[in-house]
Amino acid sequence: MTDLAPQISLPSRILGLVIGLILTATGAGFGFASGASVQIVILAAIATLALFVWGWRYVLGQFAGPAVAAADGPSSVWQAWMRFRWPLLGLALILLAFLILSLTVEGFFNIWNVISLLILLAILVLTRTLGRQFQQNRSAFIGIMVLAGLFSVGSMNIEGFASGNNIKSMLLFASFLGLASVGQTLVALLGGLDLSIPFVIGGANVGLLYLISLEVPGWLATIIVLLIGALLGVVNGLLSYKLQAQALIVTLGTGFAISGGVQIITSIGSAYSGNVFGTVPAWLSNLSAMNGTTFGISFPPVIAIWAIIALVLIVGMRVTLYGRFLYALGVNRTSASRVMISELSYWVVMYALSGFFAAMTGCLLLGWSGGGFIGVGDQYLFLTLAAVVVGGTSLLGGAGGYGFTVIGVLVLQVLSSFLVGIGLDFEWQQFIFGLLILPMVALYARSPHIRTQI
Amino acid sequence: MTVASTQLHEAKGGRSNPYLLMPITLFFALLALAVLRAPSLMTSAGIGSAIIVATPLILATYALMASAISGRGTVDLSVGPLIGFVNVTLIQFSSAGLLESPLAVFLYAIFIGALYQLIFALIVIYVRLQPIIVSLSGYLALTGINLVILPRPGGVAPAFMAEWGYGTSIFSPVLVMLVLASAAWLLFTATAFYTHLRLMGSDERAAYTAGVPITIVRIGAHLISGAFAGLAAIAFTALISSGDPSQGTTYTLIAVTALVLGGASLAGGRGGVFGSALGALNLYLITFVLATFNFGAVQSFVTNLAYGSILVISLLLTLLIPVIQRYIRNFSPFLYFVALAVVVLGVILHGTFDYTAFEAASLPVGPMDLQASLIAPLEIAVSSPETEALRAQAAPLISAALLLVVIAVFLRVAFAQTDRRRIGPAVAVVLAALVLGGAWGMTQSTPDTEVSQ
Repeated sequence: MTDLAPQISLPSRILGLVIGLILTATGAGFGFASGASVQIVILAAIATLALFVWGWRYVLGQFAGPAVAAADGPSSVWQAWMRFRWPLLGLALILLAFLILSLTVEGFFNIWNVISLLILLAILVLTRTLGRQFQQNRSAFIGIMVLAGLFSVGSMNIEGFASGNNIKSMLLFASFLGLASVGQTLVALLGGLDLSIPFVIGGANVGLLYLISLEVPGWLATIIVLLIGALLGVVNGLLSYKLQAQALIVTLGTGFAISGGVQIITSIGSAYSGNVFGTVPAWLSNLSAMNGTTFGISFPPVIAIWAIIALVLIVGMRVTLYGRFLYALGVNRTSASRVMISELSYWVVMYALSGFFAAMTGCLLLGWSGGGFIGVGDQYLFLTLAAVVVGGTSLLGGAGGYGFTVIGVLVLQVLSSFLVGIGLDFEWQQFIFGLLILPMVALYARSPHIRTQI
Repeated sequence: MTVASTQLHEAKGGRSNPYLLMPITLFFALLALAVLRAPSLMTSAGIGSAIIVATPLILATYALMASAISGRGTVDLSVGPLIGFVNVTLIQFSSAGLLESPLAVFLYAIFIGALYQLIFALIVIYVRLQPIIVSLSGYLALTGINLVILPRPGGVAPAFMAEWGYGTSIFSPVLVMLVLASAAWLLFTATAFYTHLRLMGSDERAAYTAGVPITIVRIGAHLISGAFAGLAAIAFTALISSGDPSQGTTYTLIAVTALVLGGASLAGGRGGVFGSALGALNLYLITFVLATFNFGAVQSFVTNLAYGSILVISLLLTLLIPVIQRYIRNFSPFLYFVALAVVVLGVILHGTFDYTAFEAASLPVGPMDLQASLIAPLEIAVSSPETEALRAQAAPLISAALLLVVIAVFLRVAFAQTDRRRIGPAVAVVLAALVLGGAWGMTQSTPDTEVSQ
């Protein structure tokens, strides 16, 4: 990016112009076909053309090196194609998808959707160009871009998307997911995985209500549950450390065992297997209910709890020695143990934290729902992983951090609320989640080719 | 330590795989327990229904195994939703009047499975994402689309597989499918491609440097995995005889568990159909044994607890394998299997033998007389009618035993004479066929015992 107005070759400029014109003409045709007013169509057409041509020049300019005069090589059009085929193919794919949607869905082609498309394209262009500046935190940058884009598209298209209530509810659900993902992030930084999180959440959810129904005071019951969660985490940590590279399956096994064990304990002497009935204390409901208040301000305290924990974790991992050692261990465990970092203690502590926060999520979810249910954490099995991955923490360890996960959580939450807003069912949401994880992760988490690793 | 011993083991080839120690032991322990708890398992219907229920899981585990061997930590979390996807689309197509013939159904299932895995492999190779992320994405996407295609369980399986799920006899089409799939993998292990696959799984860089075409090998592994997943989907459809968008999804976690219980390595390079099938059967037997205990309302919780604990314990026991290897150099899982099989066969005979009927029937031999038995060999034998009758009765048994011994010796000789190290799988196939033959013989003779019961 030394030259802000990079020169690209004439054929590629002409090619860009032609594609832009075709695009504009298609857009205008659709505009007239769907009976939009003339001004809007013209406005959209001009915007499309201008943005496309600008994006074309800007994007391709990034690739244009010093022109190599190939005397007897293939023609320059072919060269341009070879050089820019991937961005072009991606662009064509997006446009094709838009075209198909416009043709099939009635009323899809309106000014807001065109603007949304343009915003999406702008985000892509920006991430491809500006993203190069961020070698270290590219995933965070892309995450924030996607977040901004989604949010603006959502608030344009959906009534009440940017209203206070909706933002509050998005943050509420994000804080549950965020708290559940704390452990997953910490463990992923070591190069492990914790699939027992959903089972611990479910176990804590049922277990807490069970203790309350035994007339244990609410605060004591919560502390007991949190401690047990941490203890289970310690077991997970010890086992995962002993069985290196099997963390996935070990934690899955302990998860099964925890879920089964808790249910057996709670259903002894109860006629309703697996279902526990009791009254959730008012303070616990207030913590995580939608209409809860924090020191008189009307937002659920769980958001504040999440914010504080996130802040402590982010700052702590950046500035304390203990936090830096965590990264050291994730990057290269051999060299880390050479400088006297105890591998075992880190594994145990990180898994203990994971169990602790999973239990905490379970308790808070009890306050939110008001009834114990063992399967309450089931969706977090893959969502926590998705949040960590989308945020940009490497599952191989050593790169990332909780700040990234916060972004990942917010992206997933805004996306899901956007999809709900445009009237998609849960199954479609999941489908789109699945499809979107790939390109989002592909923007920054590609591993190097094998030939560079030898 | 572990790494070194693993390398040592890899160098020796697939013949002595100490990681099969655990699944084999567990399998026979559970089998003996199951037979003692519920002798009905060893009837034609018992084995038949066991096969019907266990086959989808076994095939799903095969699907996981084929891609897990290829390394890079490929744990295909999306195998369950993929099975569900094939299941629901199959049901929808067949209720729309398409896909009626068995051939079309099989081709369709295998094609869809392979197509999905091909895309998976291409993304892993060219976009260079971690396989677990790709599989996670596939899990979410397929789970969602399954519910879109078939919102709630229902539909009817194609007419030709309507009777497959009854499981009243051992020899069902599902068993044929399972045997063919296993045999196909065993044949595949005799190829150079398989060697490449294992090399790539153990050390991808070494494989690349050695000139193994890792792109093609990886695609091949995924295609095989997809074909297995398609077969698993057919077995699953046969089992439930309808469509279910969410049931298939549960296979993911169980199949991963079965894969690890079977001694495969999630890191790649190690795994096989024998271990995977044992792992899946172990899970089935755990459920079966626990079902005999009647825990009432907490049944499923106890099952969960047992799954989890057995998984963790068996993983912990693999830590002992280097120690075992230090003392037992040439551990032959095959011999170990046969030895335990003999023991458990005794248990099975004991468990299923009808002692009361035996005592009630008139015996050709009376109670043993010590003096007579000591003197008898010294006397010149005079064949009494009783002895003749006994001989006539024992003749088929003895000839069968002789036949088995001859076959075993023949196989052993063939095994020793050949240069190919990988004839072991073929031996296993022949033995499996023999066992099946024996089982068939049992079913032929069961009617009268059933009547007597």
